[in-house]
Parts: sequence; C-alpha cells; structure tokens
Amino acid sequence: MSRLTYFAKRIGLMIPVVIFGTSLTYLILYAGPINPAVAILGPSADASQIRAIEQQLGLNQPLWAQYFDFLGRMFTLDFGQSWVISPNTSIVDVIANRFPRTIWLGFWAILIPLFIGIPLGFHAGLNPNSWSDYIVSLGGIVWRAAPNFWLAVILLVGLSNSEQYLFGFEWKTFLVDTPQLIGAPPLNDLTDPRQFLEAFKRILPASFVLGSASLGNELRIGRTAMLETKNSNYVEMARAKGVSDRLLVWKHMFRNALIPLVPVITAEAGLLIGGSVIVEEVFSINGIGRLGFQAIIQGDIPLAAALTFIFVLLFVVINIVQDFLYTIIDPRVSFEE
Amino acid sequence: MSQELTQEDEGIGSRIRSNPRPALIWMVGALALLAPEFGAIVQLVTTTVPGVGVVELPTLLTRELIPNQGYQLPNGNWQGTFLGLSPAIAWTLRVVLIYVYAFAWLAWLWYGYLTFRRNYRFADWTPTDDRIDRLRDHRWGQFGFVVVFVFVMFAMFAPALGPTTLQSNIIDPYSYEVTYYDEEVSEVSTASVGTANLAAQSRGTPDQNVGLWSYDEYDRFHPAGTVTNGKDMFTFLVFGARISLFIALSATLIAGGIALVLALVTAYYKGLADLVTVVASDAFSSIPLLLLLIMLSVVLSGTWISNLYNGAVILVLIFGVFYWPFYWRTIRGPAFQTVENEWIDAAKSYGQSPFTLMRKHIAPYVVSYLLIYASLGLGGIIISTSALSYLGLGITAPTPEWGRLVVLGQQYVPTVSWHISIIPGLAIVLVVTGFNALGDGIRDAIDPESEGTEGGAAAAGGGG
Repeated sequence: MSRLTYFAKRIGLMIPVVIFGTSLTYLILYAGPINPAVAILGPSADASQIRAIEQQLGLNQPLWAQYFDFLGRMFTLDFGQSWVISPNTSIVDVIANRFPRTIWLGFWAILIPLFIGIPLGFHAGLNPNSWSDYIVSLGGIVWRAAPNFWLAVILLVGLSNSEQYLFGFEWKTFLVDTPQLIGAPPLNDLTDPRQFLEAFKRILPASFVLGSASLGNELRIGRTAMLETKNSNYVEMARAKGVSDRLLVWKHMFRNALIPLVPVITAEAGLLIGGSVIVEEVFSINGIGRLGFQAIIQGDIPLAAALTFIFVLLFVVINIVQDFLYTIIDPRVSFEE
Repeated sequence: MSQELTQEDEGIGSRIRSNPRPALIWMVGALALLAPEFGAIVQLVTTTVPGVGVVELPTLLTRELIPNQGYQLPNGNWQGTFLGLSPAIAWTLRVVLIYVYAFAWLAWLWYGYLTFRRNYRFADWTPTDDRIDRLRDHRWGQFGFVVVFVFVMFAMFAPALGPTTLQSNIIDPYSYEVTYYDEEVSEVSTASVGTANLAAQSRGTPDQNVGLWSYDEYDRFHPAGTVTNGKDMFTFLVFGARISLFIALSATLIAGGIALVLALVTAYYKGLADLVTVVASDAFSSIPLLLLLIMLSVVLSGTWISNLYNGAVILVLIFGVFYWPFYWRTIRGPAFQTVENEWIDAAKSYGQSPFTLMRKHIAPYVVSYLLIYASLGLGGIIISTSALSYLGLGITAPTPEWGRLVVLGQQYVPTVSWHISIIPGLAIVLVVTGFNALGDGIRDAIDPESEGTEGGAAAAGGGG
C-alpha cells in the first residue's frame, strides 16, 4: 500500500465523518425544539409574521427536503445570512472578519507550550528525581488539571494588579502600553514591530491559558521520552565511544525524544477548537469560538450551523495532517491499519 | 474450558468452615462499624417500606446528634450547640468523626481482602497480587486514591458535612428560621434564614465579607465563608461535589460501557466492524464537545428532560453518548493485542461462542485499561461540567455547581472576598489531579512496562 493510496483512503473515510457531523448539527439546530422564526422575531411576534419568515426561510417544507437542502448548501459553502448577531450580512463575511483573531490565538497557544513545555520536560528528564524535576513535574500535573476558565480568571486578576503581587512589575506598561487587558488584539498591520508586539502582548495571557493543558502534557511526555532515550542502548554506545555530553544531548537524544511528542502536539490542535470557545469568552476576544457561543445563545441558527460545520472541517483537516506528519516522522508506522 | 476440580478445592464456604476464626473477626468488625449508623439504615428501610412509620434511632454522624448551630450569650456561653462547644469546634468534631468512620470502613475492606488472601484463597498467587503489591509503594498513586476517596466521601456524606442544610440555606431560605442573640434588644430572637443571608453577603468590602472560618452577625459559623448572596459556601461545595460526582460517574459508566462493547466487537471481528467504528468515533468527536454541550443545553432548555435532576440527567446523557470515542481509542490497542494471544485461538477451536469468549478471555484485560482512562475521563467531565456552569448553562441555579461559584466571585478576586472564586478552583484542581494520579497508579500497577503515552489524557484536560 503506497503512501498515496493510504491518504486517498484516509480522505475517503473523512467524507462520512463530515456528513455525520453536519447531519447532527442539522438535527440539533433545525429539527430540535427551537423554532428559528421565533428566535428571529422574539417572543412577541404574531402568527402572520412567523408564517412569513417561515415561508422566506423554507421552514414550511417537509423536514427531509430541508435537510438535503441544508446539506447541499453547507457543502457548497453557501451559508446564507446571519439573523441576529449582525443582521443582513453574509455569514462568510462575519466569519472572515473574526477568523484571524482565533488563528492568532491558536497559533500562540500551540507555540508557547512548545517553547516552555518541551525544554522544561527535557530538563526534568535529563535530571530525574532532582528538586527541579519534582517542581517541574508537579507544575505540569497541576497545570493540566486546572480548568481553563479558572486559570483565565486568576491570570486576569494577577495581571491587572501585577504591581501588587509581582514586586512592582507592571504588566500593563511592560514593553508596550496596553491599558486594556481583555478584548481583541489589533491585527491590522503585523509587519510593524510595535504593532506586532502589542498584538502579541495582548494575546499572550489568553494563549497561555488555552495552551495550559498542552503545556502540562508536553512537559510530562517530554520528560518520559527523554528518560527513555537517555537509558537506551545507542546512547550508552555513544557515551562509550567518548561522545561529549553536550553533543550527545543535542545531536542524538533531542531528535529521538521529539518523536513521541508529535502526535501529542497535533492532538492538542483539536483541543484548541473547543477550548477557544471558553477562553475567548473570558478574555472577550471576538474570535469564532466566542462567535459560536453567542450565536447559539442568541438563537442565530444559520450562523451557529455554519460555524459548527467549519469546526467539523477543521477537525478533519487536522486529523489528516496529523497522520501525514506521523508517517513522515516515524517511518515505522505501517499503512496497513 | 471446564477444569477438573481438584480434591482440595471445595468452594469458599467449606474453606471458611474449616477455619472460621479470621472470617469471624472480620464480621465482628463489620458489625462494630455498622452500629453507629444503624439508625440511618433502619430509617432508610422503614421509609421505603410502606405501612411502617419512620423509626428514628439516634445515629452517630448526624447533625442532630452533634449540632453546630446555636447562639452565643453575652457571657460567652453557647446555647444549642454540641456540649456547649463553639460552633466551629462542634462542626470540626463532626467532620473529623465522619472521616474517621469512612477510613475505618476502608481499613475494614483492606483487612478483609488480606484475610481472604492469607486464609481462604485457593490459589497461592494470582497476577492481581503483584498489581496490588506494586501499588503499595506507589506514593503518587496512593495520593490520588486518598484524594479521590476523600472527594467521594465529601459527596456521599454531604448532608452531614455541611454546617447547615441545602434546603434551609440555599434552596428555600425564607421558609426556615435561625435563632440568634440580638445584642440591640439583649435577648434571644429569631429571623428567617433569608434575612440572615442578606446580612452575611460577601461583596469584597471589609464590612461586607464573611471569610474563611468565621461567624456572621447571626452567630452562624461558615467554614469556607459565604457566597455573594450570603449563602454558606461549604454547604454549596459539598452539594456541588455531589452533583459533579453523580454526572461524572454515570456518564463514565455509559461511555465506558459503549466503548468496552465496541472494543470487544472490533477486536474480535476486525475488518469492516473496525472500520465502521473508526469512522463513527471520528464522527462523534468531530464537533467540539464543549460547543455541543452548549448547543444541546440551549436547544433543550425548557423541555422536560432538561429539568430532570436540575439538568444533571441531560448532561449525563450527552457526556455518555459523546465521550465514548475517547475511551474506545485508548482501549482499542490493548483489545487488539489481547486477541492476538494463543489462548483465544485455543478457545475458538474448542468451539466457544464469540460472546463467551469476549466476556471471559478478552474483557478482563481490557477493563483494567479502561479503568486508567476512566479515571482521567472523570476529571475531564468534572472540568467540562463546571465550565458549562461558568457560562451559565448546564446545572440550573440554585442547585450548587462549582463552576458557578467561580463566575460569582470573579469580580471579587482582588478583594477580601477572594475565597468565592479561588477555593472552588483549587478544589477542582485538587480533585482532577487526584483522579489523574489514581489513573497513573492504576496504569503502573497493571502495566509497569508502559511508557505512559497518553493521547487521551489531553482530551481529559481540555475543553474547560
């Protein structure tokens, strides 16, 4: 089985997944107890208005006809218009407006744990059962168990009053002046270093919280991977041959210890989608996670459906990318399963 | 595979008859432990059997026997509390007694297992012995076990642990009264609990705050302070633990059951069954769980099912239906490995039916792996439930849920009322860490060679 057919098969398997996810969305949002027409007009609408809206949206069609219509529109990316959040604008515009913020948040939420978690985990693995190892391991464990929303609350409070808690270190004026802690980062012009710094500083707390679970996992798995590599035969061999410690760590151990981390890192990407809902809500960043939450709460059914469809697509794409990376990094993975 | 019974093995009953002493000692221990709570059992039985009036016998661990609610006269004496002790001491005494009692039962179970192992078991050695011995010096796993046990008891003895009751303090405060000593008119008077709560609010200013381990103006003791609306936070916490644990356990049972059945079927039949399950599990996890929970909570709000047990039942169903892929993915590997063994082929050639084969020869191995991830998943479900309450969905107010405390106290974190948000958060961290540690312990006991790669652990930590 060649790599190409393997991936063709993987992509083929993803089609039912997408269809199922979309059908489930339809079932919950359209066939459920909510009447979209009432959601648009509010509870004080009279029957004729409701009928008119139902006529307009095709809600008086039989359910199965509506369902196939819905599937067709989703797969052709024809999402229609938002009703409540921003009436009479096309959903594609609404989403495109907010998408960059979520990407920015997710990007740093993946990177920050990598640059903190892996080095610390490797350090702990190289010095097992030392004090620093215990502190790092315990930190990873607690970090993994802490709910994101609670961490976010604590971090916000800590940063807004940082001069009290951190011996006069004032976060708001650190590097660049950002008087506002919450809210969306400015993303108009990231090429300008000052702008970039400001955008980075504004997203940092949120990304840190969103990546907290990943950080804990990467710490832990980095530690075990390093421990195993350290005790493996080829390292003994290299040491016997007189390879210097530094070279040994950087050249031989580091690369091999990274292998088990790859699936972990990509698995986190899927988590970020779900996590972004609550993190964006706490930090009031108007990204697509928060948009999804608001759309559901306010009964903007088409928007909620479109967003859920996009989340399903993202999940599928991330899964395929993960498989792809895995086959590249670890040639021992077979294509048989 | 019927085994020829050997001469020595005549069943456990006869083994006990031939050497009854250790078993008798163990039974006497059970009776001694049952005695303090005998009244509770009698009450339970007589309330469930119709036609018999409720028989009230004194039991050791109730708030009636060790009351902690009273009032203080100007000379410093307490009236109405246990032996005239101060409410703080009376309450502490009750809590300590409850936990001593719980741990005594635990010790009794352990002693029973050891007795069985020493005196009555037919086999000198089983693989389980090794697992248990491995756990004996696994401090981290033991820590997890103790934390989980304390949490479960916290939920189980909730009515007796709280300094006041759920009904009178949280659900229906205006129907109950509190007796206190009124200093303005220098006499003992009563007020409704609701009025007293209004005076005991924690709102971030030093004169409007009831912090940890303090009394309010109505002589009521608050071990964990009060919430923004003056309700007692410790009572809130114990009943919140109850509902969290109920959701996590029931959902894990459902999801774990589905995952186990699917793992057995896919491992045994492979091929198409496996492929279909792979697609189904991807499909079920393709929508972010938190978003799905939000969607279903909103869509189903106001329907009859969302009102069962204050919204807990619907959460259990959602978690149960959508959490199984997480478990199934983690136990699929062990199930496949188990099927590869030779004894499976042997059993097949004996003509054993697939069902019996799965139940007897595959399931025991897979269940032990399921335990590891169930422990992790429990933590994940607790976090997701509290995240939902934080967003104002899921468990409906006024039913206690830890996540709601975080959002209530959010604005007061930098002030003197910091306890409202911080304590529940720390409690969640501790409980989830406990479940994770227990999972680690079980993993090292079952499979000391395993390297601890956990793709699934991430799923347990995320979403909240």
